[in-house]
Amino acid sequence: MNKSKKLVASISTLLIRRRISHPSSSTLRCNPLAAISTNPQTDLNPVKTLAVSIRRLQFSGRAFSSESSDKRISSVCWNCGFSSDKAAFLFCDSCRSIQPVDDSVNYFQIFGLENKYELEGGSLEGKYKDWQKKLHPDLVHNKSQKERDYAADQSAKVTEACRTLTKRLSRAMYIMKLNGKNINEEETVTDPTLLMEMMELREAIAEADDSKELNQIQSQVQENLKQWSDSFADNFESQRFDEAVKCIRRMTYYEKACEEIVKKL
Amino acid sequence: MMLRQAAKKALGLTSRQSTPCSVGISRSYHENVIDHYDNPRNVGSFDKNDPSIGTGLVGAPACGDVMKLQIKVDEKTGQIVDARFKTFGCGSAIASSSVATEWVKGKAMEEVLTIKNTEIAKHLSLPPVKLHCSMLAEDAIKAAVKDYKEKRLKTNGVGESSQA
Repeated sequence: MNKSKKLVASISTLLIRRRISHPSSSTLRCNPLAAISTNPQTDLNPVKTLAVSIRRLQFSGRAFSSESSDKRISSVCWNCGFSSDKAAFLFCDSCRSIQPVDDSVNYFQIFGLENKYELEGGSLEGKYKDWQKKLHPDLVHNKSQKERDYAADQSAKVTEACRTLTKRLSRAMYIMKLNGKNINEEETVTDPTLLMEMMELREAIAEADDSKELNQIQSQVQENLKQWSDSFADNFESQRFDEAVKCIRRMTYYEKACEEIVKKL
Repeated sequence: MMLRQAAKKALGLTSRQSTPCSVGISRSYHENVIDHYDNPRNVGSFDKNDPSIGTGLVGAPACGDVMKLQIKVDEKTGQIVDARFKTFGCGSAIASSSVATEWVKGKAMEEVLTIKNTEIAKHLSLPPVKLHCSMLAEDAIKAAVKDYKEKRLKTNGVGESSQA
């Protein structure tokens, strides 16, 4: 009886330390302290309650560490307890079970990429397929409902990640968001030079008669997109975020123009 | 004509038996929006350099829309006698700017500055996701008035200095 009480006490301390050091952490979804301290059945079966509490902690897939400043992430498989230090622990290779979605894992981590705008060509497609071979819902029909839900969520997240990172514009917007730079999408654009150019571009698209003309315009727009994409990369790396936002605006307009061309073709 | 039918189909505007605009599978445009789309009023351009013309050019950052709204002002009375618009965007954006051109005609400049996007949105029964289109139209009106006033200041300034 005494030993379990001591165990409870030490775990409580660790939890308190963890909560203080990571106040904004979303990994501890429930309040295990409350579970341990207010559970009326504590006296009856403390060990069992403790086990339940530990399992609740592991539900989020992350084990707490007492070294609060330690940046090393430690993920624990809900099924077999295998501990992984991968940044994106979506699938346990040890017992081959799919893990629940962890919101702190970002799209770059899923694809094993650095948190920067420029990508090496062709790195996404292959990894995407590899992930889906492990995570796709079609592969988990004879597994538990819980794991099938995990599969659906993880698979969707990986698809969304691939889609976001593949296109330049969405990747630019995502990396800005990731770095806490929110782009105000509500404010009306009033830059006359930009708008005049876009007006003329859209008029040209509307008036273009044949596919040859449209293709010409399209390649011009693609070139502009590339140019502004490079400009974004440059501004972003140099932390000129206002300029970066301007690049994104331009890219948005060019992308829209491309969509219109494709519709017409 | 056929192209228009095709365009309407593409935009999903064919169903005239409009079910009440409920968020779900079948979302249809309000008949006012369809009306402005089928019978666009005041599409076109004025000469930007004409001193009696004010041009408002605005854009929506999220969706890459461009909206141009022009007003023709009677210099003596300060009343807007005519308006034109040209919008590249969704049906709601086109309808919003069309409504704007209708509403500014025959009004004084100060009066049109009080036109609110919420009124336009209500008139067209715009769903929440399209509210920014009406906001764009309100901004376009203000931009056009501002442009006209700035042009007047410039011409008056030149006029005064030449009298000296």
